[in-house]
Amino acid sequence: MSLVGYTLAIFVIVAALATAMFRDVLSAIIVFGAYSLGMAILYTLLLAPDVAMTEAAIGAGVTTILLLLTIAKTTRPTTDRLFESIDVPALFVVGAFVVVLGTQVLPEMYAVGDSEAPVWSNPEVTQAYLEQTYEDTGVQNAVTAVLAAYRGFDTFGEAVVVFAAGIATLLVLKREVFA
Amino acid sequence: MIPLDINELFLVGAAIFVVLAIAMFYRAVAGPTTQDRLLAVNVLGTNTVVILALLAAGLDQPWFLDVALIYALLNFLMAIAISKFTVERGGVL
Repeated sequence: MSLVGYTLAIFVIVAALATAMFRDVLSAIIVFGAYSLGMAILYTLLLAPDVAMTEAAIGAGVTTILLLLTIAKTTRPTTDRLFESIDVPALFVVGAFVVVLGTQVLPEMYAVGDSEAPVWSNPEVTQAYLEQTYEDTGVQNAVTAVLAAYRGFDTFGEAVVVFAAGIATLLVLKREVFA
Repeated sequence: MIPLDINELFLVGAAIFVVLAIAMFYRAVAGPTTQDRLLAVNVLGTNTVVILALLAAGLDQPWFLDVALIYALLNFLMAIAISKFTVERGGVL
């Protein structure tokens, strides 16, 4: 990753910290928009433009409006302090978690574009998917075919989870329809 | 050392804009009023569009422009939503 990438990574981490630390929720929502902007550039730099597009559409558009609708329905406490005070035990737990992840998990992961990574060290698997996808599923885009056909049950399960969340929301609100 | 390659110039430009983004992020965090923060993040969004376009030119990846286009289309949404929220105290859409 280039110097631009590292600078952006630091930017995103600082933005996430600021979002978590702000006492005023409206300010937190605005800074969360800045976080989403940094994330979209990072995804693009890591050659995942589809994820970046989703982040752009969700982060810039939907999330802000959903969060605003939420705080419009609730009360916003007025405050004189800018930042939340730090919860030391929680900070300790999170710090320990980060240390374990950084020392145990990160060294095991492959670098971006590493030729030793399973994706590249088993080219016949990739090739088999690219060749058989259209015959198997009739879908021309291999990524779409993997998501919607080969991993169809997984995607179906995700849809069920979203459906269940919607039903639960309606139950909590004691309503029969959305809107 | 003069970067002879025009692509490198684009990448250097992108790096400069990232540094500028950090300057605007300072305003977004420190800005005493909500309006300061909102304006800072709005400029950040425009900045992001420029960075993505420069990266698309510098790295020869024209599909980066698709992401830049979506941002250019959606960047104003957050500013309008929050402006309406602060003026009308609750009405968002």
